[in-house]
Amino acid sequence: MSKIVSVHSFRGGTGKSNTTANLAALLAMSGARVGVVDTDIQSPGIHILFNLDESEMVHSLNDYLWGKCGIKDAAHDVTGHLGTQVKGQIFLIPSSIKAGEIARILREGYDVGLLNDGFRDIVTELGLDYLLIDTHPGLNEETLLSIAISDVLVVIMRPDQQDYQGTAVTVDVARKLDVPKMMMLVNKIPSAFDLEDVRARVEQTYKVKVVATLPHSDEMMTLASSGIFSLKYPDSSVTAGLKAVADEIMRG
Amino acid sequence: MNKEQFERALQEIKAGKEDIRPSDVVVFSEPLRSVLNRAVRIGRISLTDLCRDLELDREKAGEIAAVLISRHLFQVSAFSNEKETFYETRLSAMTRPLGRPPSDIFKKLDN
Repeated sequence: MSKIVSVHSFRGGTGKSNTTANLAALLAMSGARVGVVDTDIQSPGIHILFNLDESEMVHSLNDYLWGKCGIKDAAHDVTGHLGTQVKGQIFLIPSSIKAGEIARILREGYDVGLLNDGFRDIVTELGLDYLLIDTHPGLNEETLLSIAISDVLVVIMRPDQQDYQGTAVTVDVARKLDVPKMMMLVNKIPSAFDLEDVRARVEQTYKVKVVATLPHSDEMMTLASSGIFSLKYPDSSVTAGLKAVADEIMRG
Repeated sequence: MNKEQFERALQEIKAGKEDIRPSDVVVFSEPLRSVLNRAVRIGRISLTDLCRDLELDREKAGEIAAVLISRHLFQVSAFSNEKETFYETRLSAMTRPLGRPPSDIFKKLDN
């Protein structure tokens, strides 16, 4: 049975898109058919991680929302872009990176219900095992909808005072939306912190399972979104943490 | 659902004329919120299940469903027949274009 997985953080810069791309890759490595939707329409970016050039984007999520194409037409098979053998397949539905199209979405708005329909349709039309939704940070109607229809929610936070309160709001809302499975990932933890201590504190604070505590990684910074970290550094402790999240998603 | 809960639920879903938004569902009272959450996640619900989950008779559950249809959260499915009514569920709502008042999401959540 297919699963819809939302990856969310209350604040930006937590590594949400990077995590989503890595989870997609790890799930595909296990043989799954994975869809990734970039719903961060105001500041899209996950296409960079999959090396999808603007010139290759025939259609985007924006086109679908404007009725110019079906959701399947906006899906790009990026499996071959990963630079390594993957048993499964990854389809990316990018948001437009054209300034005029981003401005139009902001100016005119769009029907969130179309996302609802599109998510369900793409799962069926592409026979997906997993649909990963890279959400816009914070809370808005689109994010609430994504969470409302998801089977799994991955909440990402950094050990930063600015993240603490907002994450509490996200967790509270997710509980009100009865998400069947919620898990947390603490990212970019400074080396001075004890990872297990961070895990224990976060779990105690939010009463949500922390599946991974990922240390700040110079290798990740150096990669600078030019590829999928877990494929380039399969033996890294960061990759081990991301695998733990992927395993938890697959566990049901 | 007792009489008080039923009337409160009815009042909540009648409180607006626009499509029911995700942020509306978040603030609905129980058991309405949980039942709608489940229906939205699955994408459909039958009248019989609505009766069972809300602990209402068919007439009262039908009354709730009728309001939800008018606010476009429910749509009667083509699979409905004489014995059973099925509803497809769809959260909607336009995102707010710039120039309109700012989102009231946080006010709702704080309440």
